[in-house]
Amino acid sequence: MLSQRLIGRAAVKSAFKPSGLPSIVSASRWSRMYATEAERDLVIIGGGVAGYVAAIKAGQEGMKVTCIEKRGALGGTCLNVGCIPSKSLLNNSHLYHQILHDSKHRGIEVNDVKLNLKQMMKAKEQSVAGLTKGVEFLFKKNGVQYLKGIGSFQDEHTVKVQLNDGGETSVKGKNILIATGSDVTPFPGLDIDEKKVISSTGAISLEEVPKKLAVIGGGIIGLEMASVWSRLGAEVTVVEFLDVIGGPGMDTEIAKNIQKILKKQGINFKTGTKVVSGDKTGESVKLNVDSAKGGKPETLDADVVLVAIGRRPYTANLGLENIGLELDERGRVIIDSEYRTKIPHIRCVGDVTFGPMLAHKAEEEAVAVVEYIKKGYGHVNYGCIPAVMYTFPEVAWVGQSEQDLKKAGIKYRVGTFPFSANSRAKTNLDTDGMVKMLADPETDRLLGIHIIGPNAGEMIAEGTLALEYGASSEDIARTCHAHPTLAEAFKEAAMATYSKPIHF
Amino acid sequence: MASLTSACRMSVRLAFRRLQRDVAARGFRTSATALAAQNFTMPALSPTMTEGNIATWRVKEGERFSAGDVLLEIETDKATMDVEAQEDGILMKIMQGDGSKGVQVGTRIAVIAEEGDDISSLQIPAEGNAQPTKASEAPKTQTQEPQSPPTTAVPPADSEIGAKPEAKKSKNTQIPLPSVHYLLKENGLDVSVLNDIIGTGPNGRILKGDVLAFLGKINASTPSEISSRFDKASHLDLSNIKVAKAPEPKKPAKEAAPAPPPAPVKSVVTLPVSLSAVVEAQRKIQKSLGVFLPLSTFISRATEIANDELPLPAGYQPTADELFNQILGLDKVANPKVSRGSYIPQIGALPPSSVLQARPAPAKRSDIIDTLAGPSKPKPAAKKTTVIPGASTGSNIFSLQVPKAEERRAQVFLERVKVVLENEPGRLVL
Repeated sequence: MLSQRLIGRAAVKSAFKPSGLPSIVSASRWSRMYATEAERDLVIIGGGVAGYVAAIKAGQEGMKVTCIEKRGALGGTCLNVGCIPSKSLLNNSHLYHQILHDSKHRGIEVNDVKLNLKQMMKAKEQSVAGLTKGVEFLFKKNGVQYLKGIGSFQDEHTVKVQLNDGGETSVKGKNILIATGSDVTPFPGLDIDEKKVISSTGAISLEEVPKKLAVIGGGIIGLEMASVWSRLGAEVTVVEFLDVIGGPGMDTEIAKNIQKILKKQGINFKTGTKVVSGDKTGESVKLNVDSAKGGKPETLDADVVLVAIGRRPYTANLGLENIGLELDERGRVIIDSEYRTKIPHIRCVGDVTFGPMLAHKAEEEAVAVVEYIKKGYGHVNYGCIPAVMYTFPEVAWVGQSEQDLKKAGIKYRVGTFPFSANSRAKTNLDTDGMVKMLADPETDRLLGIHIIGPNAGEMIAEGTLALEYGASSEDIARTCHAHPTLAEAFKEAAMATYSKPIHF
Repeated sequence: MASLTSACRMSVRLAFRRLQRDVAARGFRTSATALAAQNFTMPALSPTMTEGNIATWRVKEGERFSAGDVLLEIETDKATMDVEAQEDGILMKIMQGDGSKGVQVGTRIAVIAEEGDDISSLQIPAEGNAQPTKASEAPKTQTQEPQSPPTTAVPPADSEIGAKPEAKKSKNTQIPLPSVHYLLKENGLDVSVLNDIIGTGPNGRILKGDVLAFLGKINASTPSEISSRFDKASHLDLSNIKVAKAPEPKKPAKEAAPAPPPAPVKSVVTLPVSLSAVVEAQRKIQKSLGVFLPLSTFISRATEIANDELPLPAGYQPTADELFNQILGLDKVANPKVSRGSYIPQIGALPPSSVLQARPAPAKRSDIIDTLAGPSKPKPAAKKTTVIPGASTGSNIFSLQVPKAEERRAQVFLERVKVVLENEPGRLVL
């Protein structure tokens, strides 16, 4: 009589004693554990900002994902030897410098200010450890398998992993993501030993403050590290091949301005100067420099030389030759607009491919690439990626610079507002800098925003949002900004762009 | 980056909430239930801590404390640490006094009451109250509840609003930008004019330039020209890629996007179960007690028992709470390897063919075909069972359709059902 009859769900439930009903695990949670153990939905080579974000996103999308990282800690360059540790040093060295030189006229007298570099480094390491552990937690939470080792392609679907703990394993993936990032571009003829000739990695872990520091390259990394060690007491000289500092993308007017401010802080600049050769055999390092436009040669003497001429895509030991993937002339992995390499299930994002080498750009791409795999579309607006330099004052920008627009023959209107006319900056006694906006002269649509000023890095978020939404400067000017804040300078610059500022 | 930082911050907060779980849970109680005192358990002060010594209680029995006060000092093998109170309260009773050694994490060390409680009339709760899972579930269910009530009043209004934009279906749903709004007012135009303006902003947003062009104040083509410039800038420029070595013209051919992931594969787990013992018990009960119990009663009781403490499905994702228990070493206190299932077996007669013909090799894994073909491929029982073909009182096929990852879990479930039903089914109902 029971044959072929199904017991109704409701009937069985009603037989349950109500008190004996502990929490019933919802079936929906289980429904996504379907893939076979053998092949992963996504294998990611690299656990940096691109790799770990993609791993977490893929985990959230219910994919079986494996992330391979050789460093032994997640977060890549950014968390371990880049953005994060340098910001710790920048913040703390700024505090030290301010207590030392800037507290007296504010009415604070401090005696016996001493630098404890070891402790400063320890504070930095704590921040780093906390954040990398945080990523590891997020991996756990989102079910990401984490392999510590060096990943390389065996064939189009298999990644061989040389484990850090010894031994070897391999993972198969339906999709594979290359997110191996970048490393420091070395200076020809000066090999980096991280003691006398250092890269950005060495610059965040010097054991003592050098007497003389020479920085090759006046880009963001060079200027940030120059600031740190100059504040801690080093005599710093920055040598830049181009006529302006700040690297690509920084508005020339802004660059000239920040150079003046940094010079006042005690950093020496040699722009338009080429480092011809270096010699580190002696006690100190000697740099032979030459005016880029052919002047008289000169010799710079430094205890430590920081090489900060840029970063290059990192594809060493990746086994790209085993699957026949080519790089472009600058070593970048070639992709299409959906981050696919010529082997469609192998994709690539972050520093190792095209676009600016920025952590937040990599992060955007990581989310987009997982969405492409999962949903068939993703979105990154490359015209709207902010850049920040964390000197003091900070420099931040989004969109196009004045020289970009000039070069492209695009008409524009400029509006600026100096922080010296801003009430909050005045009360803080930090009045260096300005906000500069570029807008279309006819439609008033914003084209670019450039800021030098305290907290410029936070303020640029408003500009990025405005640009993303296609705002005009009037839209910003007609939006209420709290008083007294630095952000009022932002609003006033917008007023200056489409009409006139009130306070200047 | 911001998200990472906040996640870390949250992780600390979460961890701390776990430490003080019992104290924190009180916040969710209503005043009526708050009259009971709460157990205060040994907190895990580091992820690796499993036990600790109580150095001194800073608050004495019967004393009040406020949030932030140091309640006691705990010694671990690494350091001595202060434990702070998370809320105001009264220390009702100390269970583990000064100098207690080797107190396991999670054991009760004191009983605390809420401020204002009359200590003399309060009952000291049993130690078992501090079950970690239950305490953490209580707030969850409460937070879920409020989601439903607000919707009850809304529906009629909601459908009206929903109908309007659909009827018009124009772009006028956007909130005009401040500049657009101002321009309209300045020129004495109604907001409805926006329906006639083509937006060149992101997602068709009407920008100041679009209104200016509409009003004829600027060149009509300017907004779209700017817009196309922005569009170009929003993509990576992959036009002039120069390949390093191989000189073939690059730019990988665009191919169709990878096939969408396959639908979740379900598998069917089956087990023949003899119901003869059940029928026997049913007959005996009717004889002695005069009560007829349907077979479904036996089966549902057996199901309920078998669902208890099933092994976790393969690839089971622990909750954030469970992860933190792992980090804090608390997973050893509760048993995280099992959870309660909610399976209901489907029952059918054993097809004669499968019984009469011995299968050469039992299929190890059932696939989608099995699912479509129905429960026709029984797995041979682990132990030999006597099978009476065709009779409903004899062997029946109990089957479960489950995701692949849960095969083992389902198998365990069915085996338990079998054991319960074949041995002493009478105890299920008596």
